[in-house]
Amino acid sequence: MKTTFKEENNDFVMYLSGRLDTATSPDVEKDMQVLMDCEGHNIILDCTDLEYISSSGLRLFLNVLKNAKSKGSHVYIRGVNADINKVFAMTGFSNLFEFK
Amino acid sequence: MAENTNLRQNSKARVSIGILITAAVLVIVMGTVQYWFASSGIKAEVEEHARGELRVKSLEIKNVMTAAEVAVENMVWVVEQNLDKPDSMYSITRRLLSDNDGVIVGSAVGFEPYYYREKGRQYSPYSYENGDEVIDKQLGTDKYDYHEMEWYTETMRTGQGHWSEPYFDENGGEMMMTTFSYPVHDKKGKTVAVLTADLSLEWLSDVINKRRAFPSSFNVVISRNGLIIVSPVDSLILKYNAHSFATKNNDTVMQRVTKAMIDGSSGMATVKDPKGKKNYIYYSPIDGNTGWSMAVICSDQDIFQNLRQRNFILILLMIGGLSLLVFIISRSLNTFVKLQNVNAEKERIGSELLIASNIQKGMLPKIFPPFPDRDDIDIYGSLKAAKEIGGDLYDFFIRDEKLFFCIGDVSGKGVPASLVMAVTRSLFRTVSAHEASPERIMEQMNDAMAEMNESNMFVTLFVGVLDLLTGQMRYSNAGHCPPMMVDGNDVELLQMDSNVPLGLMMKWKYTVQEAMIAPQTTLFLYTDGLTEAENSAHELFGEERMIDTGRKNSDVESSEDLLSAMNDAVRAFVDGNEQSDDLTMLALRFTKNQAVIKLQRSLILPNDVNAVPQLASFVDDVCEQLDIDPSTNMSLNLALEEAVVNVMKYAYPEGTKGEVHIDAKASDKRLRITITDSGIPFDPTAQREADTSLSVEERPIGGLGIYLVRQLMDSINYNRVDGKNVLTLLKKLG
Repeated sequence: MKTTFKEENNDFVMYLSGRLDTATSPDVEKDMQVLMDCEGHNIILDCTDLEYISSSGLRLFLNVLKNAKSKGSHVYIRGVNADINKVFAMTGFSNLFEFK
Repeated sequence: MAENTNLRQNSKARVSIGILITAAVLVIVMGTVQYWFASSGIKAEVEEHARGELRVKSLEIKNVMTAAEVAVENMVWVVEQNLDKPDSMYSITRRLLSDNDGVIVGSAVGFEPYYYREKGRQYSPYSYENGDEVIDKQLGTDKYDYHEMEWYTETMRTGQGHWSEPYFDENGGEMMMTTFSYPVHDKKGKTVAVLTADLSLEWLSDVINKRRAFPSSFNVVISRNGLIIVSPVDSLILKYNAHSFATKNNDTVMQRVTKAMIDGSSGMATVKDPKGKKNYIYYSPIDGNTGWSMAVICSDQDIFQNLRQRNFILILLMIGGLSLLVFIISRSLNTFVKLQNVNAEKERIGSELLIASNIQKGMLPKIFPPFPDRDDIDIYGSLKAAKEIGGDLYDFFIRDEKLFFCIGDVSGKGVPASLVMAVTRSLFRTVSAHEASPERIMEQMNDAMAEMNESNMFVTLFVGVLDLLTGQMRYSNAGHCPPMMVDGNDVELLQMDSNVPLGLMMKWKYTVQEAMIAPQTTLFLYTDGLTEAENSAHELFGEERMIDTGRKNSDVESSEDLLSAMNDAVRAFVDGNEQSDDLTMLALRFTKNQAVIKLQRSLILPNDVNAVPQLASFVDDVCEQLDIDPSTNMSLNLALEEAVVNVMKYAYPEGTKGEVHIDAKASDKRLRITITDSGIPFDPTAQREADTSLSVEERPIGGLGIYLVRQLMDSINYNRVDGKNVLTLLKKLG
């Protein structure tokens, strides 16, 4: 599991690649601290290379969203594959996030 | 409805009024006819009566008058024999008086002038009663020249007997009289004197008016000139001429009547008196030579008073009867209308009951087979309601590879029972949605029902939970009749603990029992409508016959066959007798087959989330072996990770060490993954499901894991076996 943080056009962008499961999520949670101080920036979670996500990963996504919302920022999800999209739909996350 | 009522009331009113009018017309016609017949009868009778009275009175008067005439005529002979002895005349007149005491009150012999030269011009010996004595005197005086008097002149002229007009005698009698005069002849036949007899008419009034036909009727007698002789009004007597009186008063009817009376005819007339009241006058001449005529006058009031009274009473009675009749008819109409309303109401309730019955039946599973894509369970049920809706129920569903089922019977019948039945069924569904232990399902249902049990209704209920993976059945019974187990060899009733029915005792601790259901065994559940089905001899079908039927059909191959065999047996037993109670049956046949195992793998992990990648490669390996597509592969990965992580987190509290065993078994049809751990009891299936419709702010961070497992797998099943948590996940293949 690998994460990359970039600031693009004033947006905070995090590239996620590999399996975001229970084992890897504690590390990813630390990587995501950079997204917490997001005042004045929208956040983009780029899932183009994300192979797998479990409820632990979803939990992290929800954390980011809750924090951003309280600071008036938007969270966009970008490039999800069909299987992961299915999980998002199943859990109702499709209704919570904005997709790019 | 209101319109109907109005219509009915209108038609009721119309019928009532119609009857009233008809009856009123009838009463009036009947009364009139009756009155007419009665009055003409009475009129005829009155006339008859009046004429009879006239005849009788006339005869009475005639008798007296004739007697006087005869006495005078006889005495004339004595006078003629003694014409030569003028002084003997007093003895003759006295004799006439004494012979006719009380009737003839005076008598005189008036000789023609100078018949006896020595006696002068007037010689008229006269005797008259004065009180008790008889006084003799000369009638003729200087002031009274009897030769001028009518009684003398008329008698002398005609030579025949003559009755004078009645008059009031002021010369001594002081009474009403009439005088009969008869000529006296000498030996040569010449009329030389007139013998008179003064007839007191004191008795006349008595005779005429002593008896009257009606209380206020009266009789009148008038002379041949119309002089009133007898009248109830004394002041009229001898003072008025009836005919002149009528003429003076312009009373044409009375004029005609008095004229007829004077002329000596009989007849009848209707007159109105000065007060305008109607009177009837019947008149007829009095026999004899007096020329008198008598009239009987009756008032219309008198004659018809009784009749009118009777008619009045009769009409009152008729009106009373009529009112009674109308009352009765309107009452019966009311009853009729009420009956119609009641019938309409009954129809309405009937159709509502039918709807209720349909709703009730709709609550019960009624599509059989209910699980067409399952080969491990075969269920068939039937509910035959008695005449109306009842309180029998059954229900079943599969959750987490467990069959939850129940059968019950609510006390009582009808709508109340059906309401309780509906509540019971809902409670069963609600409670068993998150509770897998039959005794706890029972307890929660019982507490809920006991709390709201206002009407002390209760439910006998059997709840069973059959683990479709193992055939282990756990059950709890609240006073329901014991189900019957039918396998290929034998039949037996399930062992039952005694627990109270639901709804009676708050906080009752229900016991749970267990039984293993071998494949190809049928569990037969029923209500007492089966065992208490009655034939015409009032014998009950009973447990024995049920077990017999089960035994005879122990080799049946489907639940439907067993049910129809039982149905046939009951129908044959009752033989057309009416079904008195709901008949509810439910047969569950456990048809689990040992599948051919295509693959079997296992993995043991420590309770460490960092071992999750091992789990992922285990799943990938299994999927590769079974040629499972990548998308399903990912679903299985996700489901398994969530299930195993759940166990690691909750069955093993932080700091404790343990293992998690993962076994995968696959047949052609399904993949079965069993996760076993030795941690503390933890049933993930009993957790509340995540609500995926909440907003970001409301959404809890956790709780998604088990939800995802349910979504991704076809079924999930938890059991605590031998101190271990056993979670089984199933995924259909192909």
